[in-house]
Amino acid sequence: MFGKAKKICAVLLSVAVFVMAFTACGESSDSTSSNTGEVGNYGNYSPLGREAENGTIKLKVWGPDAAQESLREQCEEFCKLMSAYATIKIDVVPQGEEDPASQLLTDPTVGADVFGFACDSIDKLVNAGALLEVTGADKDYVVENNVEGSVLAATVDDKIYAYPETGDNSYCLVYDKSVVSENQAKTLEGVLEACKAQNKKFVMEANNGYYACMFLFTGGVTIDGYEEDGTTQKFAPYNMDTATSTVMAFRELFSKYKDIFVNGEVTKVVDGFKSGTVGAGIDGSWNFSYAKEALGTNAGFAVLPTINVNGTPTQIVNMFGYKLIGVNSSSKYPNTSIELAKFLTNEECQKDRAVDLNWGPSNKNVAESTLIKSDAALSSILEQSKNSVPQVAVSQNFWQPVATLGNIVVDFDNEFTDKDCQELIKKTIANVREG
Amino acid sequence: MTFIEYQALTPSQKASYKIKEFFSLLPGRFKSFFAAIGKFFKNLGLKFVGGCKGYGSRFTKGDFATKLSYIVMGFGNFTRGQVGKGIAFLAAEILYISYLAGFGLKWFDKFDTLGTELTHQVIDEVTGRPKSVMGDNSMLILLYGTLTILLTLVFIAVYIANTKAAYEAEQSVKAGKKNLTLKEELQEFLDGKYHVTMLSLPVLLISVFTILPLVFMILIAFTNYDKQHTPPGQLFTWVGLDTFRDVFKVTEGASKGYTFWELTKWTVVWAIFATFSNYIIGMIIALMINKKSIKFKSLWRTLFVITIAVPQFVSLLLMNQILQDDGVVNVIRGYMGLAPISFFNSTALVARVTVIIINMWVGVPYTILQTTGILMNIPEDLYESARIDGATPVVQFFQITLPYMIFVTTPYLIQSFVGNINNFNVIYLLTGGGPNKNPNLYQAGETDLLVTWLFKLTMNSNDYNTAAAVGILVFIVCATLSLITFNMSKSSRNEEEFS
Amino acid sequence: MIKSYRLSRMISDIVIYVILGGLGLIWVSPLVWLLFHSFRKEGGVSVPYVFPKEYTLDNYKALFTNTDVFDYPRWFLNTFVVAVFACIISTLSVLMVSYAFSRLRFKSRKMFINIGMVLGMFPGFMTMIALYYLLKAMNLTQTLPALVICYSAGAGLGFAISKGFFDTIPRALDEAATIDGATRNQIFWKIILPISKPILVYTVLTSFIGPWCDFILVKIIMGDNRDNYTVALGLQRMTDKEYKQTYFKQFLAGSVIVAIPITVLFLKMQNYYVEGVTAGGVKG
Repeated sequence: MFGKAKKICAVLLSVAVFVMAFTACGESSDSTSSNTGEVGNYGNYSPLGREAENGTIKLKVWGPDAAQESLREQCEEFCKLMSAYATIKIDVVPQGEEDPASQLLTDPTVGADVFGFACDSIDKLVNAGALLEVTGADKDYVVENNVEGSVLAATVDDKIYAYPETGDNSYCLVYDKSVVSENQAKTLEGVLEACKAQNKKFVMEANNGYYACMFLFTGGVTIDGYEEDGTTQKFAPYNMDTATSTVMAFRELFSKYKDIFVNGEVTKVVDGFKSGTVGAGIDGSWNFSYAKEALGTNAGFAVLPTINVNGTPTQIVNMFGYKLIGVNSSSKYPNTSIELAKFLTNEECQKDRAVDLNWGPSNKNVAESTLIKSDAALSSILEQSKNSVPQVAVSQNFWQPVATLGNIVVDFDNEFTDKDCQELIKKTIANVREG
Repeated sequence: MTFIEYQALTPSQKASYKIKEFFSLLPGRFKSFFAAIGKFFKNLGLKFVGGCKGYGSRFTKGDFATKLSYIVMGFGNFTRGQVGKGIAFLAAEILYISYLAGFGLKWFDKFDTLGTELTHQVIDEVTGRPKSVMGDNSMLILLYGTLTILLTLVFIAVYIANTKAAYEAEQSVKAGKKNLTLKEELQEFLDGKYHVTMLSLPVLLISVFTILPLVFMILIAFTNYDKQHTPPGQLFTWVGLDTFRDVFKVTEGASKGYTFWELTKWTVVWAIFATFSNYIIGMIIALMINKKSIKFKSLWRTLFVITIAVPQFVSLLLMNQILQDDGVVNVIRGYMGLAPISFFNSTALVARVTVIIINMWVGVPYTILQTTGILMNIPEDLYESARIDGATPVVQFFQITLPYMIFVTTPYLIQSFVGNINNFNVIYLLTGGGPNKNPNLYQAGETDLLVTWLFKLTMNSNDYNTAAAVGILVFIVCATLSLITFNMSKSSRNEEEFS
Repeated sequence: MIKSYRLSRMISDIVIYVILGGLGLIWVSPLVWLLFHSFRKEGGVSVPYVFPKEYTLDNYKALFTNTDVFDYPRWFLNTFVVAVFACIISTLSVLMVSYAFSRLRFKSRKMFINIGMVLGMFPGFMTMIALYYLLKAMNLTQTLPALVICYSAGAGLGFAISKGFFDTIPRALDEAATIDGATRNQIFWKIILPISKPILVYTVLTSFIGPWCDFILVKIIMGDNRDNYTVALGLQRMTDKEYKQTYFKQFLAGSVIVAIPITVLFLKMQNYYVEGVTAGGVKG
């Protein structure tokens, strides 16, 4: 029932967006009372400290290319809601995933007031003083409504600095149902066996710390924030034997299937689906829609499988990230920007994005909704978050050494004994902590 | 050997004599290079002292107008018929002072600490929400402080010139001579002082957009600007030589020092191979194309040269794609029944050989263009005498062509050697530094050159100070190398030969 | 005797033809691959065969019609404008500097030459941030003039080749003109420049190509102002993780289009280029 009204509203709005493109949204909201009625789902909306900023407020918002249209619609709605208090003009500007951090580090004053970013750059941003802290009622709002991992991802030094936007910035198993059965997808052995049976490849980007950390995390070598100095990566206590045998289990298994195992960029998963050469792979959530496009009904998604370590099936643990929305600390209108950030991350907007963009929510209610449960891709990735280490407080020095580790582990031309493995784990940890 | 003896030699003997002389002079050149640097600084010091001396004596000797020019710049010239010159000096003074007052002083003021006030957030009373209070930005203080210092140096030079001009104008009036009018003086800039006209604009542009940023970067190496101290959120400050100590310190396991030495070794190996492989292969192809009996010369040349026209980053991204594990090269190998090769991610050796070969694809066409003309100019009698001695083409190439070319094109070779040390594009776009197989390298892969490491240090791990220090070291090596070879090369010493 | 000499010459010629043919093939084939795959209809980034199965013009069409994310035509125009202006300024400053260093004699000339030689050897990444803030102080960031400045400001340092060229022009020419009462300025414009066509073409070509290749500095200067991106940055971004899957074929098509004008220009001017670089690079 809600969905229908929403859809009509969305269509109307998107028409308006197309007509006006970049022009102010404040102008479109002529009569406030009827408008609040139209977007009745936010009827009880009452912005905090609204008297602080008035007149014409100009904001700039950064969001990824894929989300431009929905972002514009949502900003439009926000302008309408706020039209009783102020005239707001919002300029939505496309920005790549990694750009906000690098641009704000170069010059925060030209940055957007409100911007989306992946949680791995939050340390850089906070360190550079680019994010406005989330305090008081806003903080409660964030903690109450979002899943724990996403709140953690927005936290630096026990302070929250951003508003969780999605809960899906990670990867899981993507497979061709005509090659791998649902049952086989539960164990890594099964996946590889199934691929081999039909001579299809299995793709994983081991040469990248983001994926290769699986080898360490599954074996219990997980990260645990920073040391006292605030930059040196801290590792949780681990058992070297378990760690070694797990990493060796990965190596031996992949080595057994080395003619079908491909250590290559993630784009090769979907490419392979298109050309029919790949049976399964470990792929990121941002590529799910491409996988669906390539395989149609045969597209299968599942949490990362188990791997057999010394006879016990062990669940693979990965790194799980979130997308966040932050408020620029040098914004001219911090109060309105905070309102906008809250608005963009609320339940409705997250639901919209789940429908329009296939983005997994961080909002608890949306995550539990049937909308998500019925989508195999989204539910798999959200399920995956339970078997993962949140991408929180990861040192910038983490990625390169772990990529090296992953790369060495799946280099089957070299001899690699248990002792080498131990040595490598030690060196990798030391290297992450160096500098 | 006397001149007459030299003249009596055959052309090939002459050439080999010259080449021998060239290399035997090398060590001496090194010595004289450092002597020249010493001399440079000595002269600079003397000049400065000289300037100061004249400064005082002119003041005591000069009349009132000249004395007043020490405060109001250009006054002396103004009162002695050189209105334009006087106004120019005065304008310089006013500009400088207003720069200082409006902009420069405020930044220079904090140059010693690079800022003390941290940017922080406070709770706004009206909204109950945080807002940001801007503090100091160390980076801007460093940059604009440096700008102020450089401008001050320039101003001092202008100021001294002003006192000199005032004094000279006074002297020439006393001697009953007429001072040059503005028009005459300007005309002088089209003839006698034409070098000033030609050089001032480029020098200005280079000073502002090359030298100033360079000084800024050099200074960063002496600060603690790293990932813990990133402005505007954090402040950084001076730490002296600590950063350099880090770069040279080799410890057990992964360290910056170990990485620095490993990458230096590879950078040198790369630069040598990349330079000479391009050079030799390019020359051989050029010789083949230009052999008299070969037809379709322009077609052959076009085949190679066309690759230059494709922007380099495109052709490198393209090569990266073609050489992937599932790229077209491996597809073709598959058709021929060969196992695929992982060009970029098997062993360091394979990846290194691959980048050197791809670099040939990129660079050889330039050598072909560059050397064609010179190859045609090698005196034919050199070859003739060799042929009479029964030398094969291969022997001829290594005994005549190659030495002759190296001798004649040294500046070009040095340029490309230095260019290869700094060859960012090939490595960054082709391998991205990979393969990552050495767990002891700090933020680097096995084909990373010092420049690409430097880039990763700034972009990935934000170790700006380390990057700056490495940059300085690379620069010192490149600069020394090229200055020595350039100044001993024929083209520099015999500049006037063609006049 | 003569016969065997001819025979051996023929054999050596054939060997050379084979080698040249083989090498030529190696050199050209990546570009041929680029051309073919820019018309590829199926697949994403890579396909497991050599030639595309189906051909289409869609990749090219999309470049010019689908401009929401990658405004290729606009960026192409930007690059062209920047390249033209940067080229004019660079060429002027290179010629001015090298003429002064080659034909004029003044105090500390040698010192200037040496400093100029080494200044360009500093790896430039760290200086970019300084450049950014200098341009910001002039209120030029995120504009095309900023790019023109960046690409041409340091051009004067590339004087080596053209100085070499000027050195080869006999000084007697200048002397004769001076006797006739010409100023240095007149000598430069009326006597030296007209006979310097090869080096002029060489300088113009190299400085024109520069802006088509840089993608790092543009990003820092332009920030989020996509309207002012250049084509190199646009193409480089098409191969970013975020866009590669969708835009790779457009990247290939875009590369072909960028390569066309430069190739045409280059092939037309090739002979001048060779003359300039040979005379200037070394004086045998």
